Amino acid sequence: MEFPRSQGLTLGIELELQLVRAHDHDLAHEAGDLIERLAKKKVPGAVKPEVTLSMIELNSSIQGGFAGALAELEAQRDAVLDAAGVLNLRICGGGAHPFHKWAERRVFPDERFRRVTERYGYLAKQFTVFGQHIHIGCPDGDQAVYLVHMLTRYIPHFIALSAASPFSQGEDTSFQSSRLTAVSAFPLSGHMPFVGDWAEFAEYFDTMRGFGIVESMKDFYWDIRPKPEYGTIEIRVCDTPLTVRRAALLAAYAQALAAQLLEERPHAPTPAIYQVNAYNRFEACRFGYRGKFVDPFERRTKGIGADILDAVAGAMPQARRLGSAEAIAELAGDVRRGYSEADWLRARFNERGSLSDVVRDAAEEWAALRQ
Amino acid sequence: MQNVAWFVPAWPPALGELVMLGALLVGGLLGGELVHRLAALPRITGYVLAGVAFGPHALGLVREPHFAEARVFIDLALGLIMFELGYRFDLAWLQRNRWLAVAALGESVGCFFAIYAGLMYLEFPPLLAACAAAVGTATSPAVVMLVTHELRASGQVTERMLLFTAVNCASAYVALMLMLPFLHLERAEDWRSAILHPLYLLGGAALLGFVACLAMLALARWLGKREDRQFVLLVALIVLVVGLARAGNVTVVVALLTFGMFARNLDYDHALLPLRFGYAAQLLFVVLFVLTGASLDFRALATGGVAAAVFIVVRFLGKALAILAFGRLSGLRAGGAGLLSVALLPMSGLAVVMVQDTVALFPRFGTQLAAVVLSAAAVLELLGPIATQFALKAAGETHPEA
Repeated sequence: MEFPRSQGLTLGIELELQLVRAHDHDLAHEAGDLIERLAKKKVPGAVKPEVTLSMIELNSSIQGGFAGALAELEAQRDAVLDAAGVLNLRICGGGAHPFHKWAERRVFPDERFRRVTERYGYLAKQFTVFGQHIHIGCPDGDQAVYLVHMLTRYIPHFIALSAASPFSQGEDTSFQSSRLTAVSAFPLSGHMPFVGDWAEFAEYFDTMRGFGIVESMKDFYWDIRPKPEYGTIEIRVCDTPLTVRRAALLAAYAQALAAQLLEERPHAPTPAIYQVNAYNRFEACRFGYRGKFVDPFERRTKGIGADILDAVAGAMPQARRLGSAEAIAELAGDVRRGYSEADWLRARFNERGSLSDVVRDAAEEWAALRQ
Repeated sequence: MQNVAWFVPAWPPALGELVMLGALLVGGLLGGELVHRLAALPRITGYVLAGVAFGPHALGLVREPHFAEARVFIDLALGLIMFELGYRFDLAWLQRNRWLAVAALGESVGCFFAIYAGLMYLEFPPLLAACAAAVGTATSPAVVMLVTHELRASGQVTERMLLFTAVNCASAYVALMLMLPFLHLERAEDWRSAILHPLYLLGGAALLGFVACLAMLALARWLGKREDRQFVLLVALIVLVVGLARAGNVTVVVALLTFGMFARNLDYDHALLPLRFGYAAQLLFVVLFVLTGASLDFRALATGGVAAAVFIVVRFLGKALAILAFGRLSGLRAGGAGLLSVALLPMSGLAVVMVQDTVALFPRFGTQLAAVVLSAAAVLELLGPIATQFALKAAGETHPEA
């Protein structure tokens, strides 16, 4: 398997979105109608179906930085909102629909999704959760492998910064992000093995393909995975945020971190990254910024929020060059004042008293500030 | 010899209304389950068939007095349905999607004139033809709502079917009211009462719906977001609205429909929770359809059969015309318009009541026309649910296991 040479540090964003009915704010089943409608319009990037009829996925084109990514996301959001308005559907961010019942989900009528359902049973319908994937362009395969290892240390950051799925199946989960639990159930979830370089990774992949366990990189549901088809690495732990702005902020943060790591090469990857990963990841899902973080290199414990602030400060020179200094400073500001979208959703629930209202407010948040 | 078994009632025992009601429920339930299992038909069709079997023209178990006894069940069932239908009337959607508004109104208007033309062709007097056309414009709210619930349907065809039903029911009543003055004048009544009567019927009903909505919003705010409490509140207000509408001699159905429409569109601070019918409501619906079946009269088919067939065909064509013309423009996918037209086929059981009222006013033409409309109603009561079920399934909008 080849890793194509690509321009380093470009950005790409995928967003999985909730389709919500107007009258009771439960999930709709109308992805087919919406996608058909959007196919006739000029929408930047791409709009794609997902495993159940209650979701769609927005794909950005290749972007250089924060401003371009945000502009494109806004254009996509507006086009989708226009089409959804005609069908009386609401569009919603957030990592999980607060009260839908997974058994009610209907699988998108498509060969690939039917196979997924046949293979994974109820997991396929439970996989109606909504994530943001961030692609970072890598110059070559070895750097991609290095980035996957090193960014694994920062997984808790992305979970805590994006956490927006406190409710699941009608209950408060007490987690900031409950979405990743749905991902963990899949047999090929988890992380990339501790390989030294691209050649070693390619060998691992060929072995797995030889066993018939996987056919393509798509079959690995890892938190971060190399994506040789695009010449990128893909961070997959983020909940879809409640606004496109936050989605662009998260992408900008990932880009700045990647730039810093490739430029400064602060550490060589060690297996310790993966030894502490499960613990850190849980802390982030459960407690967000307030979770504990074990640093695999400095071998000490601090708060996830504090670690994010340190990391933002560390990546600031690269962010300035990439034109995203203000963007990552905005994220740091949220950490400082303890703002997370999971808490926002909980506050909406406490004020309104019903999860149906939480969805309505989230849908209004998604549509707010549109041009 | 002394009767030791004095505590055993004399044979045959006097069966009270509870026994009657229980029998209706069991019969309806079995009928529904049978047609569903044997022929994969909607359960509603089974309830109706059980009603026909129980009815005065077959076994004769259910007769006029029973309708009066079960009145409160029917009122409640229809009340819940009309409210929910009104609640699905989303004004904001129609404002955003103007072609949808055009399609919905066009469906009502097209259906009305198609039936009118058909009946004129059959040489009915214009005024009666217009009355029958108005009656035929309405799709059965009970059938579309219950088939939707039974199949757990959700999607564009389903949503539009419910919206169009709300619009064509409202249109049917407005059209009937517009004809009232002419009916009055034919009977040589005072022109002032000819004009005031429809205004009172519609205006009074709308006012009642509006006041009920304000009361519900205020009380719901105070009760808080609890589904159980809000459901009891809704049932209580529906009963009140039905009772007050009767007492005030205004149109019950319009009062309930406007109640729901106001509730959806005036709830600015979202005090109301979305309504969910529970098992208890299912019970009401079984009684409703069994009794509807018992009230059907198939004898008229012998005389009004051909005309009824014409009525059904032109009614369908009238509905389909506007939907096919504006369906794509209003954002319906290819094929959706045809299915939506089929889904709207069920005819309102209220037609029976409306027609009987008209017959009372015009015994001369009334009986003849009643034969046509009642035959059509009887046929559509059986075919309608099947058509709706077919359309929603073909549209792919039903739950796979429903």
